[in-house]
Amino acid sequence: MASRSSTLARPVAFRSVGRSILLTLPIALWSLLMFTPSFQHAGRDTHIGAVVVMLFMTGLFFLMMRTGETYRWRRIFFVALGFLFPFGFIAALVAERGTMSIPISRMVSGDTPFCFMVTPGIILPAAFAHTIIFPGSILPTASNPHSIAIMIGLWFALTLVLGKAWCSYACFFGGIEEGFAAIAKRRRLHRFIVRFGPRLRLVPWAILVFVVLGSAALFEPVYCMWLCPFKAVTEFPAVRNVETAIQMGIFVALFVGLVVVLPFLTKKRTQCGFFCPFGAFQSLFNKIHLFEIRFNREKCVDCTLCQTSCPTVALSAESIREGKTLLNCMKCGACVDACKKDAAVWHLKGTPVAVKPERARLLFLYGAWAMATMFGGSILANSVATMLHWLPWK
Amino acid sequence: MRARILAILAYTGAGLILAVAVCVPFVLMGVFSNVVAHAGLHIDATYSGGTIARTIERNGYRIIVYQPVQPRLFERVEPFVQLAFEPADSLPARVSDEVDLDGDGQPDVRVSFTMPADPGAKLRGNVTALNQKYVSLANVADESFSRMVVRTGNKIVVRVPLSSEVAGR
Amino acid sequence: MAALSLSASAGEALVLGLATGPVCLASCGPVVLPWMLVQPQGMRLHTRQLFLFLAARLAGYLVFATAVWLVGSSIPHAWTGRSWLFGGIEVLLAAGLVAYAAGWPRRRSTPAQPSSRLVQIGEAPRPLLSGALALGFLTGINLCPPFLVAGIRAAQLPHLSASLLFFLFFFAGTAVWFLPFLSLGFVRRTPAVVTVARMVAVLLACWYMFSGVSILIERAIYG
Repeated sequence: MASRSSTLARPVAFRSVGRSILLTLPIALWSLLMFTPSFQHAGRDTHIGAVVVMLFMTGLFFLMMRTGETYRWRRIFFVALGFLFPFGFIAALVAERGTMSIPISRMVSGDTPFCFMVTPGIILPAAFAHTIIFPGSILPTASNPHSIAIMIGLWFALTLVLGKAWCSYACFFGGIEEGFAAIAKRRRLHRFIVRFGPRLRLVPWAILVFVVLGSAALFEPVYCMWLCPFKAVTEFPAVRNVETAIQMGIFVALFVGLVVVLPFLTKKRTQCGFFCPFGAFQSLFNKIHLFEIRFNREKCVDCTLCQTSCPTVALSAESIREGKTLLNCMKCGACVDACKKDAAVWHLKGTPVAVKPERARLLFLYGAWAMATMFGGSILANSVATMLHWLPWK
Repeated sequence: MRARILAILAYTGAGLILAVAVCVPFVLMGVFSNVVAHAGLHIDATYSGGTIARTIERNGYRIIVYQPVQPRLFERVEPFVQLAFEPADSLPARVSDEVDLDGDGQPDVRVSFTMPADPGAKLRGNVTALNQKYVSLANVADESFSRMVVRTGNKIVVRVPLSSEVAGR
Repeated sequence: MAALSLSASAGEALVLGLATGPVCLASCGPVVLPWMLVQPQGMRLHTRQLFLFLAARLAGYLVFATAVWLVGSSIPHAWTGRSWLFGGIEVLLAAGLVAYAAGWPRRRSTPAQPSSRLVQIGEAPRPLLSGALALGFLTGINLCPPFLVAGIRAAQLPHLSASLLFFLFFFAGTAVWFLPFLSLGFVRRTPAVVTVARMVAVLLACWYMFSGVSILIERAIYG
């Protein structure tokens, strides 16, 4: 059965309900496994949050199986994560200390939770001086469970499974841009993207090199102190002098420009594709990751729908001619879903291109959605519980 | 034949990725975290205050003196020495202590602050340098990483900057 | 006796250079790295470029050695103009990096060579050696802490030749740390690599500009 989707270029080909349920069962079981421990804790809000998210993640996966599409359903999860994570985070900060700003006393006490975005900048000082240039704690404490060891361990484990797909299934910031990019019906600044996109796509690499060198030279987390747009929706060093005021100005400007305005105008993930050094760092794992998106040149008619649909300009005319994506492809599935000729396909390296692509998609999605459920799902459940806790009529 | 072998390897790899995914929350995350925890890493002294040099016992509380922290390479922080007064709950309402920072038996600074009645209120203090090695601080709270009198948990952390002659800068 | 004293100073200078080399690398490396990645691939040209960069850097060292010796050991501590000079040099370095990223200096083009500038106007310029000299000299007179330590020490030496020799050996010690940059000759010079290198140069220029202007403003306000 086929029907016209209002958001995609090609008609949806529904698969059978029975088959879709069967394929969804492993994810349903996994969700149960991940969230059952929540029921051992006290708190009705926590239980409700767990049930809601279990149904949410399982339901979205079912729809992925039923419709054969990935991007549209993944985006719902990702946007929810992007908006609910800051909500839960800020709510916890306000409840604990009444402000989003981090006083120096917290940095000195090692209570700052570790954020993945810092990872590339801390590598050289850690390797050469055994020093972590971050005001956190190595081991978890009562006041800081998100210690450096825990978060680095989690990041590495997730990266083994996801690689660069981290940016589509794990990053709790990318969904904010994806949400703003989805609002406008019409794409603006299209010519700007077409003309400058190929160069702008290289900016994250330059920022990555700059952050790595700068952090090693200054022994401070340069990205955190100067360039992180998401400080505007999480926590930031308290403004106490001209320098910290300038830093705050930069954070807000980057957030408003790259995360809100430009995604709204261009319908692209401009912060992710044109700025984020952590995304560039994760792109390196695309070299070794087994799953990718490829193009069947026999079916491709060079309509460029895939290029237009790609949220991070990870496709060029040259790369499509060679039948592949660029290194910064985050495996969101937008191009596959947009292609009317089924030329863009999921692919497992080492197997023939376009032979059983659905099998490759399935194998990839099981791993990716399992990680999304475990990591993003737990964040969502926490945020839902927080929202319920703050309900005015309680 | 080659294509077949590659395909077998590819599907084996994909299976391994799924196996890794299943193991992440139960085994792998813990293993990797332990590796990092036992890698001999430490937090930069700008944030941690450095290593402990000596402890000075007082009546009902103690003062922990840390080793001087010298900035590395182009680290943009003044050299400083950290003191910690703990436990904060046992401190008298008004603290005024002369402390020997370099272990030569002579007091180097006088630290004075008043404990606010509300533990959440901002703390301010004064540090009077008793010799030229250290820099005096007046009514300081959390001015910078090298100049502060702050409460963290159950201790009062004081950071006294070293003078530029001593620091060799 | 004089020979013994001279050799002791030379040894001291060499050890000082080797010990503080990482600082020089941290200071000058971020400038050298993107600049070297912009140069065409090839060990011979690469070695020549690096050699010229280091030679210009040595020239900067020797100019400073002369100045330091002439004025005496009062320069590092008492000279109130140090902040102006320090800030001014950083602003100049920033300007140099931006100019280089934008394609300066321009030269006659060869059609076979693709443009690696951020903005392409006209035909692609050939890599110019004066870029190596300018960047090398500017980084050579950049007053980083080990440089100042060496300057204090050299100012105390009895003769100008001793001061020059001191800085020559100090330079040799720091130059050892730049040898790994020769390996950049093997990195493939795709247009993407070159563009990223120029973008890094612009980012570094922003940092040096901020640092230099901060020093100058602080100097102007607080004296």
